[in-house]
Amino acid sequence: MSAAEAPVLPSYEEPFRAERSPFLWLLEREVLRFLNIWRYSVAGPVLSTALFVIVFGSALGRHVDTVDGVGYGKFIVPGLFAQAIVNVGFFNGTTSLFEARRDRYIHDLFASPLRWWEINAAMVGGGIARGVVVGAGVLAVALPLTHSGSVADPLVLVLGTLGVLLAAAQVGVIAGSLAKSLDHVYAMESLVVLPLGLLGGLFYSVRELPPTWDVLSRFDPVFWLVQVERIGFLGRGDVGAGWALLVVWTLAAGLSVWSAAIFAAGRLKP
Amino acid sequence: MSPTPGAPAALPGGGSPPALLVRGLSKTYRDGFTAVSGLDLEIADGAFFGLLGPNGAGKTTLIGSVCNIVRPTAGTLTVFGHDHRSREARRLLGLAEQEINVDRFLSIRQILIYHAGYHGVGRRAAVRRADELLQLFRLDDKADVRAYELSGGMQRRLVLARALMHRPRLLILDEPTAGVDVELRSEIWRLVKGLNAGGTTVLLTTHYLEEAETLCDEIALLRGGRIVDRGSAASLRDRYAARDISEVYNRVITAEEVAS
Repeated sequence: MSAAEAPVLPSYEEPFRAERSPFLWLLEREVLRFLNIWRYSVAGPVLSTALFVIVFGSALGRHVDTVDGVGYGKFIVPGLFAQAIVNVGFFNGTTSLFEARRDRYIHDLFASPLRWWEINAAMVGGGIARGVVVGAGVLAVALPLTHSGSVADPLVLVLGTLGVLLAAAQVGVIAGSLAKSLDHVYAMESLVVLPLGLLGGLFYSVRELPPTWDVLSRFDPVFWLVQVERIGFLGRGDVGAGWALLVVWTLAAGLSVWSAAIFAAGRLKP
Repeated sequence: MSPTPGAPAALPGGGSPPALLVRGLSKTYRDGFTAVSGLDLEIADGAFFGLLGPNGAGKTTLIGSVCNIVRPTAGTLTVFGHDHRSREARRLLGLAEQEINVDRFLSIRQILIYHAGYHGVGRRAAVRRADELLQLFRLDDKADVRAYELSGGMQRRLVLARALMHRPRLLILDEPTAGVDVELRSEIWRLVKGLNAGGTTVLLTTHYLEEAETLCDEIALLRGGRIVDRGSAASLRDRYAARDISEVYNRVITAEEVAS
């Protein structure tokens, strides 16, 4: 290591001017992070969802009558799509933030000109981007398998999917800020996210459940995320489109406020 | 003429503002532990400043507060006249922490490039600077590997290279030579001395007292979250009638710790 040549030092009198937004750099890093591990972060979730479609939709679906007048394979695709983007959105935010805290790499971000809300937004943006990539992959595989192609309500689908992506990414970032160990990260997924997904009407209509379970299902946030996708794709669900969108976006907004409060308060210690 | 937006307040006499000015800094953590209490510190532009003290004296809390990693309970901190929370101040600060805190998902070249990006550097300039520093720190043949694949000495060099990516005016080095061999230590000091000669202000914490004595223009002794004395190595030696800074340290820090 030879002695450094004298650097041209920046002036302390000039206001900060970025040649390229630090937020865009961090967002790019968040996308690069999951693309660097694409086998695990993208291919795995797409493959497992495709297997669900094949096993439940194609094989078991032959023994199930239509649900709400829709073939079983076609019926479960919106729910599986919702589950896939919820899982990857959650896991992306959780692992990205938890690992940044654990490795203390987050200090590099705190010390930089990045503002707290830019760090928050970029981490959430990474989860949304991964959800979009995996969701597109799921649909590319699932729709041909179930001979589905049409979208019943594109506006509900787009608005609903944006809400689902945002809610999932925010809850992932919140979990990533709370986790104390890698064990916490995996426990949150297997003990909270997965059961809520399976009980959220992924494979059935809650109207077919006993009344008590029907009511209880409505307290499961994933139920609403599944509903909004089902209404968007199929034009029918267990609740009205307005209610589904309202609940999904209220959830996304509430989680966004919570997540922002954590970053604003600086409670992101290793 | 009105001052430039974001510019620090002009100083009487037109001199440059201090690289770091800390007034009344206190930090009490949520568990009730007070790490720093009413700390005042001023470091002149261009200085090579050493901060000495035992573990738990408040060095890391002070550095964390300056670099926005720790939120102070009270006090004001300015970097070249800018509030330390401003983007102007952050742009001027470079931090190499004691721990190897690098991004595990990126190659070491990408670590440098993205770090520069977080400081607002454009892509072309960031790539050019990264390649220059990889060469300077003899890491160019490892540019595409991940940091955890590097040896301890290489990781230390990477952390230092990252701190220099955005050409900071105030470079903060927290135990930069902890756990490195003698050869690398002397290389690091040669490099940092070169940077200081070029105008970069250096704030250094180290447990190697003889190095602080040799390198630093001024030394502050920190104990229990307060600066108990400061001055040039020569003035501290004279004041305590000591042969070297180790003896000063023993009298000011170690003896007081034992007494308390």
